[in-house]
Amino acid sequence: MGARDPHHHPLDFLTNPERFMAFSRWAAPMFGAIAAVLAVVGLVLTFAAPEDYQQGDTVRMMFIHVPAAVICMFIYLCLGVASFLALVFRHALADAAAVACAPLGAAFTVLALATGSLWGKPMWGTWWVWDARLTSVLVLLLFYLGYLALRSALEDEQKAARAAAILALVGVINLPIIKFSVEWWNSLHQGSSTLFAKPGDALPAVYAWPMLIMTLAYLSAFGSLWLVRIRSQVWRRKARALALQQAEG
Amino acid sequence: MHFDFDAGKYAVYVWPAFALTAAAFVWMIADSLASARRWRREAERLQALKEVSKEAKR
Repeated sequence: MGARDPHHHPLDFLTNPERFMAFSRWAAPMFGAIAAVLAVVGLVLTFAAPEDYQQGDTVRMMFIHVPAAVICMFIYLCLGVASFLALVFRHALADAAAVACAPLGAAFTVLALATGSLWGKPMWGTWWVWDARLTSVLVLLLFYLGYLALRSALEDEQKAARAAAILALVGVINLPIIKFSVEWWNSLHQGSSTLFAKPGDALPAVYAWPMLIMTLAYLSAFGSLWLVRIRSQVWRRKARALALQQAEG
Repeated sequence: MHFDFDAGKYAVYVWPAFALTAAAFVWMIADSLASARRWRREAERLQALKEVSKEAKR
């Protein structure tokens, strides 16, 4: 048995680029496989669930809309934490993690808005309404797009990273606004029917299970794709450093 | 287990929602993998060039 390295930190596999690449090499496909299995089980339960007595077959959209809405907020939280670590500790891998999750967050937000709109038309009679929940999620999408635009607009990569990180941190304020919007303001959107549901509002098991499993599938898929995109960022930075070395002769 | 794929009058809303979700996942997977592959190849190409020029200098 070798002596334990006194400088070895338990989170080295996330903060040291080489260890991260070794960790993510097996972790990314593992999360991808878990996501695929969960998605199959979730879809089986989705189409085995009975029609809702009020919403009919549109209830099945809940199993793809709610997970997208939950995950797009979770990804923004990841973006905020990674941006904070990059801004305060100037950690390159944290910055790579931040830039890697933004396009995924934007895609999940578009999904949440689009599937919500397709659910809203038959249930509310309208595709869109400027109510607090819908508007605050639209603002979330604008924060994601603003972050991506800022990163690509400035030529100096460090300046772009710093400006985008500050924007990402400002946007974190929007997360509690989205969460509590249905309680703070009158809204067409329903309140929580899962973890924070009021007594009597909780989903029956036949709907709660597919939603939970699909949420875990989305979460695993995000985990896998996030790792792949961080790996991409590490290679991109390595390529950039090598190109600079070559240019300098 | 009984599966219900007949969304009746709501099919026009339900199926596009599922199709859109599938399309978004296909894009996310394809874009992530393509980008990773592109940068990995570029980094490997530049690394090989660096090795070659190092050898040439010797």
